Amino acid sequence: MIPPKASDTAVFDDICTIVWRVLDVEPGDIEITPDDSLTDDLGLESIDLVTIGAMLIERYGEQVNLAAHLAEMDIDDVIALRIGELADFVTARLADEQLAER
Amino acid sequence: MGMATVNGLETHYQWMQARDRSRPVPTVVCVHGLGYDSLASFYLTLASPVSSAGIDVLTYDLRGHGRSVRPPTGYRLADFVDDLEALLDELGVHHPVHLVGNSFGGTIAFSFAAKYPDRVASIVSIEAEPATEPWSDKMGRTFRNTIEAMGDDRYLGWVGETFGSHYVRLTKAAATVIRSTTLVEEVALGPLLDADGLAAISCPVLSILGSDGFQSDDLHAVQSSLPDCRTEVIDGQNHSVLVERHPTVRTMLLSWIAEHETARFAFAEDGAA
Repeated sequence: MIPPKASDTAVFDDICTIVWRVLDVEPGDIEITPDDSLTDDLGLESIDLVTIGAMLIERYGEQVNLAAHLAEMDIDDVIALRIGELADFVTARLADEQLAER
Repeated sequence: MGMATVNGLETHYQWMQARDRSRPVPTVVCVHGLGYDSLASFYLTLASPVSSAGIDVLTYDLRGHGRSVRPPTGYRLADFVDDLEALLDELGVHHPVHLVGNSFGGTIAFSFAAKYPDRVASIVSIEAEPATEPWSDKMGRTFRNTIEAMGDDRYLGWVGETFGSHYVRLTKAAATVIRSTTLVEEVALGPLLDADGLAAISCPVLSILGSDGFQSDDLHAVQSSLPDCRTEVIDGQNHSVLVERHPTVRTMLLSWIAEHETARFAFAEDGAA
């Protein structure tokens, strides 16, 4: 596992890389912004969220548990999830971990 | 992400295993429904919180669905039952498991329990019923209506306006499965369960239904057809019980597992098992 980078921008970049891999396109082929919704704008399906969850754990470790996060949300909110919200979730979990380590 | 070869087909599964291994760990196996369904319905709702409660949770994509291989033929109910048995064997799961089946996944669970009663500790069926003649008729009608609707662009327009573009994509995905396989022709062939088959489902069953779901015509038909079944009805809910009411389903499931695991291990500790 690669140690997580510190900045929010780095997390956003990581998520873009993961989404491009899931979409099976070259990095940058599809422009991704924090406002993009994973389903409506990027065309991802619910099974893709499973893959993204696994890739986030691979990247950051078990503390970034997307499945646990989404299980606390309504289905409409899951469908409407935006890239920026996903980045905020990852950043918050990493911050939680850093606090726990102190 | 795990891939296992099941009856010659690459099958996608996800294990969420309980961290605490100091006491007996029950196993829940989640079986999703047909069409646009996949293991995601369970993975994104129940799997993580149930695993956190100290339970191993196995979810998998049925043949032709999600990330599993989509063969052109081989979609009888019996094929799905055989796949479940082969997957459990492949993963070394030989103890009785709690099957949680959503819609057609529940139908698979019932037929699996009738065929392999020693491998099932209990069933939690969500908007599901066993594969009987009435079920086969209902499936046939549903498939015919779905295929007819999918051929009409106005239907997709209505889906988009009513439920949003996400559901349009799901509907198109279901259409792809239906058009590229013999699923529609084969699923309802069963084999169906007769009275002896239903009696063979000897494990305890929790049937969770929406009051406005697919069994709204008789909410206790499943219970009255099985030896040991309890029914919970969620008022004002349609067929989408799992995704729309997953916190309620989670509470019911955890309570059900606790009740039946206590009984199971107390039984074993008495030396009677």
